[in-house]
Amino acid sequence: MEKFSFKDVLILFAGTIITIGIAWVLLTVTGFVPREIGKLFFEGAVVGQRNILNTLNIATPYILTSIATVVSFRVGMFNIGINGSMYIGGLYAAWAGYKFTSLGHIPHVSLCIAIAIITGSLWMLLPALLKVYAGVSEIISTIILNFVAVLFVSYMANGPFRADPIAPATPRILETAELKQYFPNSQFNSGFFIAVIIAFLTYFILKKTTFGYELRSGGDGLVGFYPSRYSSYLGIPSDRSAITGMLISGGLGGLAGGIEILGNARYFYQELLFNQGFDGILIAIVGKLEPIGGLIASLFWSALRNGGLFVDYKTEVSREIVVILLSILIFFVSAQKLVSSLERFKFVRKLDAFFTRKIK
Amino acid sequence: MTQKNIETAVEVKNITKSYPGVTANDSVDFKVLKGEIHALVGENGAGKSTLVKILYGIEQPDSGEIFINDKSVEINKVDKAIELGIGMVHQEFHLVPSFTAAENIGLGQEPRNSRGFIDWDKLNSEVSNIAKKYGLDVDPKLRMIDASVGIQQRTEILKTLYRNANILILDEPTAVLTPQETDELFEVIRSLVDEGKTVIFITHKLREVMEISDRVTVMRDGKVQGVSDTKNTSPEELAKLMVGREVFMQVEKEKAKPTEKVLEVKNLWVHDARGLLAVKNFSLDVHKGEIVGIAGVDGNGQTELVEALSGLRPTSKGEVIFDGKNIESFSPRKRRRAGLAHVPEDRANTGLNLKLDIWENLVGTSYFRSPLSKGGIISMKNVVDHSNNLREKFDIRTPGVFVRTGSLSGGNQQKVVIARELSEDPLLTIASQPTRGVDIGNIEAIHKQLIEIRDSGKAVLLVSAELDEVMSVADRVAVIYEGEIVEWVNPKDVDQQQMGLYMAGIKD
Repeated sequence: MEKFSFKDVLILFAGTIITIGIAWVLLTVTGFVPREIGKLFFEGAVVGQRNILNTLNIATPYILTSIATVVSFRVGMFNIGINGSMYIGGLYAAWAGYKFTSLGHIPHVSLCIAIAIITGSLWMLLPALLKVYAGVSEIISTIILNFVAVLFVSYMANGPFRADPIAPATPRILETAELKQYFPNSQFNSGFFIAVIIAFLTYFILKKTTFGYELRSGGDGLVGFYPSRYSSYLGIPSDRSAITGMLISGGLGGLAGGIEILGNARYFYQELLFNQGFDGILIAIVGKLEPIGGLIASLFWSALRNGGLFVDYKTEVSREIVVILLSILIFFVSAQKLVSSLERFKFVRKLDAFFTRKIK
Repeated sequence: MTQKNIETAVEVKNITKSYPGVTANDSVDFKVLKGEIHALVGENGAGKSTLVKILYGIEQPDSGEIFINDKSVEINKVDKAIELGIGMVHQEFHLVPSFTAAENIGLGQEPRNSRGFIDWDKLNSEVSNIAKKYGLDVDPKLRMIDASVGIQQRTEILKTLYRNANILILDEPTAVLTPQETDELFEVIRSLVDEGKTVIFITHKLREVMEISDRVTVMRDGKVQGVSDTKNTSPEELAKLMVGREVFMQVEKEKAKPTEKVLEVKNLWVHDARGLLAVKNFSLDVHKGEIVGIAGVDGNGQTELVEALSGLRPTSKGEVIFDGKNIESFSPRKRRRAGLAHVPEDRANTGLNLKLDIWENLVGTSYFRSPLSKGGIISMKNVVDHSNNLREKFDIRTPGVFVRTGSLSGGNQQKVVIARELSEDPLLTIASQPTRGVDIGNIEAIHKQLIEIRDSGKAVLLVSAELDEVMSVADRVAVIYEGEIVEWVNPKDVDQQQMGLYMAGIKD
């Protein structure tokens, strides 16, 4: 794994400053007062109970999809089909939520979550098998499956699972299947805690178990290196690791979709739009492909998003401006060449060496 | 010849270049006279490559000055170096395999005819002329895919000459050659110098320094340790300068006392990745208490043989009996458990995962066993203790075991592989090119370890393209050529010339 260094922090800092500068110009040009917008943005992100809860609630699917990315990348598989798994997991969580009528709260929620994980995971079985046994690039097959997933859930919500005579949607899930919302002013729900537990669990499994070691032995990098000869040289069945990694990745995607349904939407409808599966890839890279890094980056990302939503809600500033700014920030964070070009400056080299020594 | 000429071709003064945490060149002064063969020697990581990269415009120094032909210059890109008449032949060739020699040589500077198309005839004849002038025997129309390594190297040299290079930098040019090809290369280098060229020759083989160079510069830890006329120095003195301590060039060992048979290979046939026969009807025995060597030029079936023995490649025909058991159906892990360790030739992608931390690579063969892990959960304390023990025992130079393996030097990476493989106390260690890219001090240590294994009553199968290595470490040597054993030799009874002929497949 690439390790964090002082250079990364410097780039993030510089990137933030430049992004703020660009925002300033954009806002001034479009006739707003940047200082006031900035204040609103900050308030929306992290000030007050309601805003904080909303930020955390938005973070839940990002945490899960970024960790899904972390798992697949570190096994050496370039899975970009997590969004598809999210749709599938979400759809079947909704189905299980209204279908099983005579269960208690805990068994029903657990069942729905299990079904979301299993269906999201199975969705990734095909690309994994195609990769291992036929050499089909998982990048291509998962992209295609993303499209298939959207069309499939749209058909199901409009066909077999449709309940509403006016809108193409499933029935509302039963109360026993709902993830608990604790506060009247926010949709924040217990799904967040599941996501945080998953982040720490993934860290533990990847880093501290023999199972995790075997998963990582073939990959552990940013780019898909599968199959690495290191694992087969040690006698670790690398094909099995690749399939397992994809299934876990898909399962986490399914879980993200399930929690969205059980905690927030409460039913599945045709126009439901998930894109956290794609953002999760970016977030995972920002988090340097570490589960805890993904957790922190998700919280940061959600704060920015929620700040943007708040600005959008309170002012005439278009929400798209936030997306532009986020993209610029991501650009800086992921510009590895930029990071290494900083080595040209002597003070950076010195500080880097200094901090590296400190950490060790 | 060179003493009369005192003009300098290259002079660098006070060059310093540092990377995070390392000073690769520390106030380096380096001077090459016009028309001389100047050897630049040093261990890996001594700063030789950084120095020539600076000369060739690949890297920029933090401070210092460069003079070419007594003129101060700034070489900020490779094009500038070429313009100044500097040519470089890299250790790994930069050739397009599907192009002919002439197409590779002219690439980017093809002569045009009046209609603006490439004038192939002119290119071919120009290449032939240069080749003839310097005694570089290359057919301009030979495609590189069909060319031997020696021819490819000559093509690389022609490429620099075609661009009017006067100062040639050759980076470890003999690493891939047979003794005969090396002799031919030396002929070429001499004729280049006779034609007024200057050659900077990077190597770590001291025998070659003594044979070919006029003067020699030794580097260690980014600093120049000494410069002298070759005839006034000795290999022992150079080795001492390179390593910073006394080095025993000759491997010290007692006579082998082989006991019972541990590995028996019977009429083995193996195909390579393209489905071609790589190992043909190969038979060999290895006994406890001996080191069996396999010598040969790279690419004569050694890779496939070792992969077949270690379980990474299926065999087509024949038997492999290890410790009395037919291990054909055994996975690599099961073979290890039976006592077969494998130090692979491809350290970076097979022997290690460079993205993992050092401790993770050190426990690759043992992580699933108590006390390193219990019930599938790794005991960090035991793993770190285990790793630190190995680090100490095998002298792995690293700030700690939580460091990315990829950040270690080649020699230290190899020590990680060897430490892991030997930590299991195997019956037989298959060591494939164990000292490739490893510096002199560490080579000595690795050779000692192999002999220690032998003396403790275990067996070693040493596969190496480095002739000196096989001949000095192994007790019996099989020479392999195109997948077959040409001859079994006793290293004491055969000279370099004879070995060279065997390695070229010529028997008597």
